[in-house]
Amino acid sequence: MTEGADRERTGGGEGRSGSDGIDPVTLEVARNACAAVAEEMNATLVRTAYSPNVTERRDCSCAVFDAAGDLVAQAENIPVHLGAMPFSVAAALDAFPGDELAPGDAVLLNDPFRGGAHLPDLTLVTPVFAEGADAGDEPLAFVANRAHHADIGGSRAGGVAADSTEIYQEGLRIPPVKLYERGEPNAGVFDTVLANVRTPDERRGDLRAQVAANETGVDRYRELHARYGDDLPAITAAVQDYAERRTRTEIRNLPDGEYGFADVLDDDGRGTEDVRIAVSVTVAGDAITVDFDGTAPQTRGPVNAVFAVTASATYYAVRCVTDPDVPPNAGAYRPVDIHAPTGTVVNPEPPAAVVGGNLETSQRVTDVVLGALAECAPERAAAAGQGTMNNVTFGGTDTRDGPGGAGGDGQQWAFYETGGGGAGAHAAGDGTDGVHVHMSNTLNTPVEVLETAYPLRVRRYALRPDSGGAGEHRGGLGLRRDIEVRDGTAFSLLADRHHHGPYGLAGGDPGESGAAFLTPVGADDPVRLPPKTTRDLDPGDLVSIRSPGGGGYGDPSERARAAIERDLRLGKLSIEAAKDRYGFDSE
Amino acid sequence: MSDTEPSARVGVDVGGTFTDVVAVRDGRVSVHKVASTPDAPERGVVDGLETAAADGLALSGVGTLAHGTTVATNAVLERDWADTALLTTGGFRDVLEIGRQDRPELYDLHASKPAPVVPRDQRYGVAGRLDERGEELDPLDEEAVRGLAGELDVDSVAVALLFAFENDSHERRVREALRAGGYEGAISLSSETLPEIREYERTLATTLNAALRPVMAGYLGRLDDQVREAGVGAPLRVMASNGGLLDAESARTVPVRTLLSGPAAGVQGAAHVAARHGHADALTMDMGGTSCDVSLVRDGEPLVTTDVTIDEYPVATPMVDVHTVGAGGGSIASVDTGGALSVGPESAGAEPGPVCYGRGGDRPTVTDAAFALGRIDPGAFLGDIGGADDAARVAIERDLADPLDMSVREAAGGVVSVAEAETARALRVVSVEQGHDPRALALVAFGGAGPLLASAVAAELSVPEVVVPRAAGVLSALGLLVSDLVSDESVSRVRPWEEVDAAALTGTFADLESRATGRLADVPPERRRFERALDLRYRGQTYDLTVPLDGGDGPDERTLDADSLAAVAERFHALHERRYGHASPDEPLELVTVRLRARGVVDPPDLAPPRTEGAVADAVREERPVVFDGRSRDVRVYDRSRLPTGGHFAGPAVVEGSESTLVVRPPDRVRVADDGSLVVEVGVDD
Repeated sequence: MTEGADRERTGGGEGRSGSDGIDPVTLEVARNACAAVAEEMNATLVRTAYSPNVTERRDCSCAVFDAAGDLVAQAENIPVHLGAMPFSVAAALDAFPGDELAPGDAVLLNDPFRGGAHLPDLTLVTPVFAEGADAGDEPLAFVANRAHHADIGGSRAGGVAADSTEIYQEGLRIPPVKLYERGEPNAGVFDTVLANVRTPDERRGDLRAQVAANETGVDRYRELHARYGDDLPAITAAVQDYAERRTRTEIRNLPDGEYGFADVLDDDGRGTEDVRIAVSVTVAGDAITVDFDGTAPQTRGPVNAVFAVTASATYYAVRCVTDPDVPPNAGAYRPVDIHAPTGTVVNPEPPAAVVGGNLETSQRVTDVVLGALAECAPERAAAAGQGTMNNVTFGGTDTRDGPGGAGGDGQQWAFYETGGGGAGAHAAGDGTDGVHVHMSNTLNTPVEVLETAYPLRVRRYALRPDSGGAGEHRGGLGLRRDIEVRDGTAFSLLADRHHHGPYGLAGGDPGESGAAFLTPVGADDPVRLPPKTTRDLDPGDLVSIRSPGGGGYGDPSERARAAIERDLRLGKLSIEAAKDRYGFDSE
Repeated sequence: MSDTEPSARVGVDVGGTFTDVVAVRDGRVSVHKVASTPDAPERGVVDGLETAAADGLALSGVGTLAHGTTVATNAVLERDWADTALLTTGGFRDVLEIGRQDRPELYDLHASKPAPVVPRDQRYGVAGRLDERGEELDPLDEEAVRGLAGELDVDSVAVALLFAFENDSHERRVREALRAGGYEGAISLSSETLPEIREYERTLATTLNAALRPVMAGYLGRLDDQVREAGVGAPLRVMASNGGLLDAESARTVPVRTLLSGPAAGVQGAAHVAARHGHADALTMDMGGTSCDVSLVRDGEPLVTTDVTIDEYPVATPMVDVHTVGAGGGSIASVDTGGALSVGPESAGAEPGPVCYGRGGDRPTVTDAAFALGRIDPGAFLGDIGGADDAARVAIERDLADPLDMSVREAAGGVVSVAEAETARALRVVSVEQGHDPRALALVAFGGAGPLLASAVAAELSVPEVVVPRAAGVLSALGLLVSDLVSDESVSRVRPWEEVDAAALTGTFADLESRATGRLADVPPERRRFERALDLRYRGQTYDLTVPLDGGDGPDERTLDADSLAAVAERFHALHERRYGHASPDEPLELVTVRLRARGVVDPPDLAPPRTEGAVADAVREERPVVFDGRSRDVRVYDRSRLPTGGHFAGPAVVEGSESTLVVRPPDRVRVADDGSLVVEVGVDD
């Protein structure tokens, strides 16, 4: 890249100094110990948090960083958190350099333009000092965790404003600030945050859990320090170098070359269609360069992915085609250089709206990087998965007679969920039906839980026959979820792949596009809804969300007759589609 | 009991390799071991009983026969179960296949989910719909069900309708319609299998139950016939996943409750041993050749969870909380591409096994490393191993020492250290991560490789004491003898707490009690105990806490009133504070699930194990060089069978037993307890 302001992430040279002399046994034992710190932080966070988003959907992650702010170990529950937190730690250190941090401090932030991802993700960074240290001493390390909060203010309950055009509409923006100073909560910060959100009690509970998680991390890291003493920096450096060596070994096995790929987002919800994301991936020896030159300018609608999100999606894609058991730390990312031109949809400038960048654009970034890598690692690649998270939000006032499960009695409510779809087919088999792909892996809300808690009625939850892209191996089937509203309700949909189905690979067909329909109360025929929709619904209205199928792999004419017959028997393929797509002869 | 009644108590635990029989008569314990017969496990059971009979046990005098079995587990692992159909609410037949829409591996684009228990073409939607309070929205189409009955070509049917836990009438009418239509196979209703909210988990448990019923009925039928033929008249009881015994009829109708029968018996036995040594709270560690099962015992009872995954199926019936990691004696050590020394998860298993067993294994394992350090002597329990000792050193040198530029001794020490670190990490998951301090726990270690690593693992976790029971197989069989009959019943009633009516709740408990009493038919009323609990949460949360009600069993205590409800709420806040570090007494609560545990109390047998007389010095088999902390020294090797009751000695030492070898580190001290367990006081390294 030539423009100086473009975001780049380069890992620096190979084999940094400082890790010499760590024997392979200490390396393995210490690697386990560092991973255990992050996992125990994660256990604390999930156990003590308040909201279902963290406790049940586990939309959170925890990590340990060395004194320079480089990642040592991470426990991530969903890939969208992968490798994204180093940007937060860097921003915190930038705001509070040198001796401006003291024992008992904790730095809160969510600003996507200063180390965050999107506003609902609140990150807390805590320095670890040696026992008995004072201000003026250098931190030994940092621990940090990130949790997705169910509301962060802004124009829409639930924090996913599909119609926003500026970040100001998306909620409260928090630059790096001290939530705790020398062990004391900063009441001004707490009050400011809580005054700007719809559900302050829940937010307070989740923030407290984030503090507790970092306290666990501080205690456990100090135990490591007590055991390893002054060797600890060399040990954490060795753990990073180890991950780097393994990653480079994996990359060396990929053929050198420059591999290009491009795909589009349907639209930004504000009139710009076919938002292009282009990538050029260069494999040279044991390093990979990923360049997003040629990607569309940032959009008015909220599909802009800040650089941390783009980097995270890129790391995810590289991890999928290399050994996923490599510990996810700074060393693993050193061999990967990322260039994203400023002012594009993969590295926007403020005040761009960004909430969908994390949710939708991140999926398309993985699609294009994996599409490029498929050329050099076909045996580990796959056709495109559904490529969207199908974000749905309902909200309103619960007027059911008597108190309902969680609502009723005129209470305000908001329900947010993401939906699975088809996974891409691959060289070894069919794509999985009805799952989350790539950057998300959160659970669905059970129908019985949903209907008990909210004035909604699920009318159907099913696989979509014929939605998987044809191929020697078939793409996974998308899902259909029909929800009837029992009350006047605000509704928003933030989805993609409604206009362009997920691509096939090696001669396979694309998967069926997603779609959304509204059947107004009393009407016979459904009307189609755009993939980015914000509107009010009347009691009795029914929305039907249909997620895309995965792309197929290989020439459909190569598909085994037995596999076609099985799909027919299971009703996953209609006889018409079997004839049409596979030339199936039912005689 | 009078002398004329059958009084011997017998536990039979069927493992993968051995079937263990423990019999207790008049306080005397006898132990028998025969080879398992995986093709027809009932044969091994009868072989074991006949071996015991040959040894003087009168089979007609057996008053209790308790059984631990892996029949259900193996059927799931091998998908060797009955062809099953599912009838479910129209529009939702794919719930079983979609599950919770998550994928099993985050970064493996080729990973696939386990196939649904019932394939799509055997899943039928039925018109008819209830709402969240069980009120009918759409009427049930019984006519269609009757029509379907004739078309079904399956051995078993599962019926799981939305909100059946609130109102089971549609499910019962579906069963009647199936019968009316001529269907004669087994029928499992979700409202009888697991009447709890969350349709996927309930449907999965019901389909698994349906698929297992013909399997379990066949097995228990054959077993019953053969056991009767052998002369045993006592009723058969089967260990359930929750650590309690089930009557045979329940095991036939709800076999899904026996999926963790085997491990549950082991943990029950370990809990019993820990209690005998004064530890109500303990960690258990069962390390075999390929993996290590760890669990936590609190207040004398194994922790029970509804969050267990059996071969990727999340089965929500209560099960002992066993956490498994891929580290065992047969785990293979290697140098990975990053230059670290890694252990497992690949395993040499039982065949070919470690190199030092001389059975053809050629990759170094944890056992080989222990051998290279002088800690175990395979010749002592395998007999002639034909030069395999050299082969083990060669394998360590070739695969580990040379690439890492280390000595064989250093590499072997490294393998053991890494295995210890992995095991310690697993034990942290069930203790520290759940908020339990290991310093207040004992570690009960068993399995072929458990005692090899236990002391070092305990030291790593600051656990002060390790208890090594006499033998692992016996431990499971013993677990069968000390367990009560237990039936866990539940039903979801999601209600705002202020809307919960004490009289209605009393009625719900009474329903659960009558359901449970049916499973305690052969227990005299004075031996029945009922424990009541409510799952509560703050409204809007999705995780709940099980809050026990006051203990009493009298008619008065069974009738709830406003005061008892207030006491429950108060207890919830306190429990929440303790578990999660915060409570909000002003926030509204919500009731989720009503639970009742029915117990048929079994008095633990009066055990008087044989005492071993003699002197500790006489139990010394040899002195041999053993490596600790990189240094080789001559260390005493004891023959476990000759160690005298009450004897004690200090580390470093090695104790060789018939099933496993205990490694005693230099700072440890060991005592031989009355029950034959070895108790290690874990010392701190200098």
